[in-house]
Amino acid sequence: MAFTFKKRSNLPGFGLALGFTVLYLSLIVLIPLAATFLKASSLSWQQFWHIASSARAVASYRLTFGASLVGALINLVFGVLVAWVLVRYRFPGKRLFDSMVDLPFALPTAVAGIALTTIYAPNGWLGRPLTSLGIKAAYTPLGVAIALTFIGLPFVVRSVQPVLEDMDKELEEAAASLGASRWQTFSKVVLPTILPAALAGFAMAFARAIGEYGSVVFISGNMPMRTEITPLLIITKLDQYDYAGATAIAIVMLVFSLALLLPINLLQKWSSRRDEKQSEVTSEETKTAEALA
Amino acid sequence: MSIEAQNITKKFGQFTALDDVSLEIPSGELVALLGPSGSGKTTLLRVIAGLEFADSGIVLFDGADTTHQTARDRRVGFVFQHYALFRHMTVFENIAFGLRVRPRALRPSHEKIRAKVDELLKLIQLKNLAGRYPSQLSGGQRQRVALARALAVEPSVLLLDEPFGSLDAKVRMELRRWLRQLHDEVHITSVFVTHDQEEALEVSDRIAVMNEGRIEQVGSPDEVYHRPITPFVYNFLGNVNLFHGRINEDKDSPAIHDAATGDVVYVRPHLLEIHRQPNGGPNFRATIKHINSAGPLVKVEAITEWGAPVHVELSQEKFRELHLIKNESVFIIPKELKIFQKQVVS
Amino acid sequence: MATSTLVAGKVPSARTAATAATGEPALVRWILTGVAVVFLTLFIFVPLAIVFSQALAKGMGVYWASLQTPDAMAAIRLTLLAAVIAVPLNVVFGVAAAWAIGKFDFFGKSLLITLIDLPFSVSPVVSGLIYVLLFGLQGVLGPWLARHDLQIIFAVPGIVLATIFVTFPFVARELIPLLQAQGQEEEEAAIALGASGWQTFFRVSLPNIKWGLLYGVILCNARAMGEFGAVSVVSGHIRGRTNTMPLHVEILYNEYQFAAAFAVASLLALLALVTLVAKTLVEWKARRQLAESALWNGEAV
Repeated sequence: MAFTFKKRSNLPGFGLALGFTVLYLSLIVLIPLAATFLKASSLSWQQFWHIASSARAVASYRLTFGASLVGALINLVFGVLVAWVLVRYRFPGKRLFDSMVDLPFALPTAVAGIALTTIYAPNGWLGRPLTSLGIKAAYTPLGVAIALTFIGLPFVVRSVQPVLEDMDKELEEAAASLGASRWQTFSKVVLPTILPAALAGFAMAFARAIGEYGSVVFISGNMPMRTEITPLLIITKLDQYDYAGATAIAIVMLVFSLALLLPINLLQKWSSRRDEKQSEVTSEETKTAEALA
Repeated sequence: MSIEAQNITKKFGQFTALDDVSLEIPSGELVALLGPSGSGKTTLLRVIAGLEFADSGIVLFDGADTTHQTARDRRVGFVFQHYALFRHMTVFENIAFGLRVRPRALRPSHEKIRAKVDELLKLIQLKNLAGRYPSQLSGGQRQRVALARALAVEPSVLLLDEPFGSLDAKVRMELRRWLRQLHDEVHITSVFVTHDQEEALEVSDRIAVMNEGRIEQVGSPDEVYHRPITPFVYNFLGNVNLFHGRINEDKDSPAIHDAATGDVVYVRPHLLEIHRQPNGGPNFRATIKHINSAGPLVKVEAITEWGAPVHVELSQEKFRELHLIKNESVFIIPKELKIFQKQVVS
Repeated sequence: MATSTLVAGKVPSARTAATAATGEPALVRWILTGVAVVFLTLFIFVPLAIVFSQALAKGMGVYWASLQTPDAMAAIRLTLLAAVIAVPLNVVFGVAAAWAIGKFDFFGKSLLITLIDLPFSVSPVVSGLIYVLLFGLQGVLGPWLARHDLQIIFAVPGIVLATIFVTFPFVARELIPLLQAQGQEEEEAAIALGASGWQTFFRVSLPNIKWGLLYGVILCNARAMGEFGAVSVVSGHIRGRTNTMPLHVEILYNEYQFAAAFAVASLLALLALVTLVAKTLVEWKARRQLAESALWNGEAV
């Protein structure tokens, strides 16, 4: 079969739409990305490795990835819990709580950053009780983790909610009629069903947290080697006109983000496949009927 | 295990699903709850199962009050309309589920569970599909797995909610026959819900016909079909002709009078005979409008002398003898009528 | 690409409510609800509350004054300018991309979809960086721009570009699944009846996607006005010239002018709340439209 670029269709506008799309993407995305790789290629492999694995850079990776992981894990557990409560239970103000779950998506990151810092600073609303317990939140990795939990909160909740809403009540009833306790029903029937969605949400929260800047840079303290996140390291290098260094670190981040994209897409596909209604297999039906006769 | 439901009432908001319903199911019987959608049959089944709690009334299993017991404690086997198989588990794991979730003390060993599941797989004739997932099975196969899963916990009662509703006609018939055979072997008290009267008539020992939250009649298939006690039951089971009229005792007048204030006369289409001459008994004239001779019976549509449509079924043999043609005027002789007094609305 | 977020969330039906017969005991329900409420209060409501509490800490006088300083007004103007340019451009892009991807099958389609998702998977700082590497003094086009006395980085054009980059996926992502799901029949019918391509689009396709479009615009706008990381990298932080509202908040905060910082932040927080309200309204409208069309097509709702 000959190679065709586009399948035949009798709708107009393909050329115009695709043309504009590709043009826009080239100008906004592809050309700048090309410039990045061009700049990166001016570095030798050795120079690149030297910058990307410098002690300061590695310390920033540890903080960024570590705190992101903690935040995403907290969101995994509590996100499932919140989704369950919002879907299954009724309580006064539920609608309000449900709509506000999206606040971290809507609120500008700088606002979130200064708000969280003020709350968890030693004399803040929550910082004070924490200090009396001997826990320092602001300007520590703990503060970073808290901020990253905030930023990822909606991902798991919104990922799991539709799956829970779609779940057939009959599955839980079947488990109950077979003698399962409520906990057994939850762990053996409900949890496996929502797992793909929960993991997809986890991965998205994780990916978002790694690249996060605005919400974190105020609460983190920004001390090199101790509380400096990787995005800040990039900015610091830029401020010093160390374009090469900034690019090297940026490439590390880019590679990692793209590596995360694939599992996220797969998890989302897995989750939506589980969701599809099962269709009948009619040719097998008649075979069965004959087998039973 | 016998089941008894006494004076069950259940409302969903403003809608009354069950209105003071009572039903007795002796041990070992296969009973059908038959009725249209909204009649309350599924709700009654779920109340018996413990998946819903009634607003008032009691449920007894072998005389013991289980009204406030949850489904888990009643140990019923429930088969859902859309199977409710656990998608992430294989056929084997689905069937073994009820045995695996038993508390430690009562849980059978691995080998015992495997033996039981194998036995059931043999029963439902799906031995080779133990490792498959529900998405890889046909509808009929899934239904059988759902049944095996319910039987695995050796329940004393088997409850089925429109078990064959979503299957093709041919598969439905095969599974119906198979369920009947299974019941003859195992003799477990079974209740199933259906809106298909053919199914109820073919499979069950007794039928409870339900309508709008109430039981209209309980009886053997024979009883409810040939001796219906309410117009609804007559109408719901089998085809029917309906005339508003009064029976005329006078032999020279039409057998059925058209009278708006009269009673309702019910006649089954196959209990009307077509003749060219009256034979001295009750009869009326009709003009043939349409003949459909494709199928095991010949279906004739005609208009009576007072303008009402009438539907007659006759065998192919009889039809060939008569040589009926369209627009012909014939005499129709009813072999059996059923008269229901017009309900007096107070 | 995931299904449209607009369509994915549905109204929880009675089926999902816990029933007495098969639900968990009331105590468990109350505990779980309590934990969820505390968690959400801690992470959502407390931060929101503190923005307004700090903004008004020194009284309404200081509040209004902070918003009316020349630098603040310049920041507000620049933020609005960036949004006014970025959002319409991204709408046109979103529509074009959704038309091409939603209605046709072609080689390289999935690559295109991945590219459109790119800004979501890249750190905002990196998003800004790539423009610096292209247009900055030491960037690829740096010398050429300097020769022609054009400034993009550390000037308004750079800010607008960075804003466009981080917000262009929003409209496209909402429209693509919508146009895909609708199939081709209605458009084909219009064409068969003699409508031109543009007429078909404006009279047939557009009305069907209007809620998705509005939803995408709302999200796009919220992000455009609130973007911090990417804009921070390209802006140069020149007061009165290249500061957007989020950047202005940062400056005030770093100078310990907390009340002023939170005053400007409160405007942004109000924008966020308006965004959430608008979002909820559009979701509700879209669900209604979906249910009505399903009813019309004879499907069970």
